[in-house]
Amino acid sequence: MTLNKLFLTNFRLHENTTLEFSNNLNYIVGGNGQGKTSILEAIYYLCTTRNISQSSDQEAVTFSKKYFELNGNFKDLTTNKTKVFYDNESNRKNYFLDDKQIYRASSIIGKFPVVTLTPSDHSITMGSPADRRKFIDSVISQSSDTYLKILMEYNKTIKQRSSLLSQLKDHRSAGLLQELDAWDLMLAKNGAEIIRHRINFLNDFELFVKEAYHNLMEEVEVPEIFYSTIQISDFSKIEEDILSALEKRRKDELIRGTNLVGPHRDDFVFSINGLELKKFGSQGQHKTFQIALRFGQFFFMNERLGRKPIFLMDDVFGELDTYRANKISEYLKDIGQAFITMTDFSNVANLSINETDRMINVHGGVAEYVS
Amino acid sequence: MQIPEPLQIAIDELSKLPSIGRKTAMRLALHLLSSDQERIDSLIHSIADLKAKIGFCTDCFNFSVNELCDICSNPKRDKTILCVVEEASDIIAIERTNEFSGIYHVLGGVLSPLDGSSVESLNIRELLSRLRESEIKEVILALNPNTEGESTSLYLAKLLKPLSLNISRIARGLPIGGDLEFADEATIGRAVLGRISL
Ligand SMILES: [Zn+2]
Repeated sequence: MTLNKLFLTNFRLHENTTLEFSNNLNYIVGGNGQGKTSILEAIYYLCTTRNISQSSDQEAVTFSKKYFELNGNFKDLTTNKTKVFYDNESNRKNYFLDDKQIYRASSIIGKFPVVTLTPSDHSITMGSPADRRKFIDSVISQSSDTYLKILMEYNKTIKQRSSLLSQLKDHRSAGLLQELDAWDLMLAKNGAEIIRHRINFLNDFELFVKEAYHNLMEEVEVPEIFYSTIQISDFSKIEEDILSALEKRRKDELIRGTNLVGPHRDDFVFSINGLELKKFGSQGQHKTFQIALRFGQFFFMNERLGRKPIFLMDDVFGELDTYRANKISEYLKDIGQAFITMTDFSNVANLSINETDRMINVHGGVAEYVS
Repeated sequence: MQIPEPLQIAIDELSKLPSIGRKTAMRLALHLLSSDQERIDSLIHSIADLKAKIGFCTDCFNFSVNELCDICSNPKRDKTILCVVEEASDIIAIERTNEFSGIYHVLGGVLSPLDGSSVESLNIRELLSRLRESEIKEVILALNPNTEGESTSLYLAKLLKPLSLNISRIARGLPIGGDLEFADEATIGRAVLGRISL
């Protein structure tokens, strides 16, 4: 799948920008605050209906304008016209697929698969377990609607259970303890499904990450992902394992009035040659691992969905040495369509650029083709 | 134009009803304004009767005009099978299927600690005493298939176990008459996970 055309109206600095893209690599070059990242943001909106960052839709509207509109033409076997329209007054964002309004974002999920690599990815390897769970959960959810639903149900269970535990902390009663038993069963049932999905996913995903890492770094560095969860005796007995873990920790949970057991406390430990990345990794190894995770995600989704996702890379070359930058640009040739932002042309000499690739210069919200 | 106050009040009241927006409320209010007095009186009367005449069945907590509801007082209903539902409105839904000839018990909600809904605030004690004193042999749990409904089903299943009754839960899965290919992935996924042996 590729994005052939993009139109931005009143979108951040872009009052009126029209772009045609290469089916291969599209390098978008511009200084900070000139509007290059907005192009990735626009593509992400069209692929997912959502904002790529935590910022509000309203912030994306050009200063003193009343709305923004994005249009994009995707080409797979057929052409799909997509449109995102947001206006300040109603604070509503509408999504259209082939001129028909789409009311549920979930019906778009997976239709226009997209993988992002941005500077905020540093939190995946350097941040908290919650950052890693968010990454892993989002990759699984992109290819499994079932997982997303189970995850939502599990999170609801955790909230309900936490409320009950804090009630029990203030006031212990036999009736409430019996209720807790029922929430234990719910937690075990949904929790076991989540853990099973995560184990199955990691078995596949780790291979893709290993291959990506090897392609980026030919040196003998072997990355591994270790899943840290509750003690499991057998793949088919996870539910029982959660229940016995809950039994062991019940006293503590009642004293502290909070959830202490379950996959919402899991972590994923990344390592290189057996050494934990978070403790022993260099800056460069962290960056390479983040890139390998995203390439791994790309090829994993490609296999699951049977289609190549669009790859969005925001400012990755800035932090890389020449060797790694060159490796990535080599690797990108297998990727299909990608959009890559860079702050200046100084890196260009190190990249292997094809005739079919496109170079776009963005300055003050105006885009022009360099090649 | 300034809207006359009584009309504005009527619009405000109507728009508080579920699934009625401002525009629909305005249309309904204008429609009522142009209706004849007889129709208006009949509508007011029917609304007033709702609260005045309908209470809850003392046995099953269904909507009822009398002490016992039409179902509990019907000698033709099978008094050995009891179906547990969340709200009285769920009885209406199940009755429409004509598939169930037993009796009901309305819980009046589900366990939801976040909303302060606990065993004490539901009609669970009443359910237990009913089961102990009656000829009921089978209990069907027909709660909604969401997190709270499931957890309440698990709670009840455990609670009722010592009574050695036949306890079952309504199946959740694919809609009848719906093709597999049109069902959403999560429904199919769950149906596969909850498969039954043949
Ligand atoms: Zn009754």
